[in-house]
Amino acid sequence: MGGWKDRMVAKVFTRFPGLAARWARGLAADTEPIPWTPVTKPLAEATLAVVTTGGVHLRTQAPFDMVDPGGDPSFREVPMNAAPTDLIITHDYYDHADAERDLNLVFPAGRLREAVAAGVVGRLHGVGYSFMGHIDGAHVETLRRRSAPEVARRLAGAHVDYALLVPA
Amino acid sequence: MGLAARAVEAAGVATVALSVVREITEKTPPPRALFVRFPFGHALGEPGNRAQHLEVLRRAFTVLFSAREPGTIEDAGLRWRRERYADPDWEAWRFGRGGVKPAPTR
Repeated sequence: MGGWKDRMVAKVFTRFPGLAARWARGLAADTEPIPWTPVTKPLAEATLAVVTTGGVHLRTQAPFDMVDPGGDPSFREVPMNAAPTDLIITHDYYDHADAERDLNLVFPAGRLREAVAAGVVGRLHGVGYSFMGHIDGAHVETLRRRSAPEVARRLAGAHVDYALLVPA
Repeated sequence: MGLAARAVEAAGVATVALSVVREITEKTPPPRALFVRFPFGHALGEPGNRAQHLEVLRRAFTVLFSAREPGTIEDAGLRWRRERYADPDWEAWRFGRGGVKPAPTR
C-alpha cells in the first residue's frame, strides 16, 4: 500500500523543492514539437477553463487510484461552482493540507469567479478538469494518447478559448 | 502537466500553465508557463492570501498574451513569503485587443 510512506516523502518534497529539482534533472526530456494556438480574443470576452493536476474531485466521485505506483491517468470533471465542502483532494504525492484549507491554491475557481465579476474574464467553462499529477510508466502513454486528448476534445467542443493549468 | 497542456493547445485552445519546479517543466515544456518558486501544492501561494493569488493569476495571463514562441517559461521572480501583495488593480487585467497591453511581469 505504502500510503503513509508516500505522504511522508510528499511532505519532504513540499518542504525542500530543491530535491524535486534534482530528481527532475534525471528525467528524460520530451523532444516532441510543442503545439501553438494564437491568442486573439480579449480575456474579457473569452471563455476560460481550469485544468488542475492537484487531485481535486467531488466527494461523490471515485477517488484517484493511490495503490498503483504508476499513478492514475484518469480525470474528473469538477463543477466550477461546487462548494469547497463538496470537494476533496486524493493525492498522496504532495502535502495538500494547505490546499484543503484553501482550494484556490490548486483549483482557483473562487478567485477566477472574482475576475469574472470584475469584468476582466469573460466567463468560466462550467467544469474544471482534474488529474492527479503523479503519473509514471505505462500510464504516461495513456495520459498522452487518451485522457489528455479527451479533455482537449471536450474543451474545444465547448468552444473554450483559453485554459489555465495548475500543478499540484 | 506539460503533456496535458500540449494536448489542449493542439486541440485549438490556447494554454498557460503554472510551474512550481522549473526543472520539471523544462523536461516537458508546455506552450506557455509562468514559474513560481513556491512549494508543491501552493501554485497560487499561501492559503487565504487573496491578493497573492490574484497577482499570480494576472502574471499567468500576462504570459498567455505576451509569449511569442512555444516553450516559453517566464520566471515570476516572486519569493516565497517575502513579498507584499497589493489588492488587485483590475485595469491591469485588460488583456487583448481593445484593452491595455500586457503589463510587464516585474
